Amino acid sequence: MDSFSSPSSGSPPKLSTDDIMTQLRTQLEQAYAEEFLETVRGKCFDKCITKPGSSLSGSESSCISRCIDRYMEATGIIGKALFNQRH
Amino acid sequence: MDPSSMNSPELQNLLAQEKQKAMISEMISKLTSACWDKCITGSPGSKFSSSEANCLTNCAQRYMDMSLIIMKRLQQ
Repeated sequence: MDSFSSPSSGSPPKLSTDDIMTQLRTQLEQAYAEEFLETVRGKCFDKCITKPGSSLSGSESSCISRCIDRYMEATGIIGKALFNQRH
Repeated sequence: MDPSSMNSPELQNLLAQEKQKAMISEMISKLTSACWDKCITGSPGSKFSSSEANCLTNCAQRYMDMSLIIMKRLQQ
């Protein structure tokens, strides 16, 4: 396979398992945060900005604020429901 | 700290755990999106009504029931 270093420069330092896992978890967290943001933007735009005006009204702003809180709460409810299953 | 080889059992095990966690996160994310659409029909309030909250819980659990039925059917 390809080597990332030329033979003359010696081998690159090897990443430890800890380093690899830390990088992976950091990147996963970032990806999830971005995905969550994108979802919340979509849902709250649909619910709160029904007739776009020339600026955001006060009621649109409060709707957005409540929407974000409710969506976060919904995420928690779904998480709990999945792990509290009784068959 | 030991330098790792990509084939080390320790790393493979940790990766498998992270994959499992990621699959669960993804399921929660998709279910929340789908159940929000089914259950939160009006404008978001300052708290959920009990019917909205129950709907969300029911939605997740009925999805799991359905998943089981589908798996069983596909195994026949």
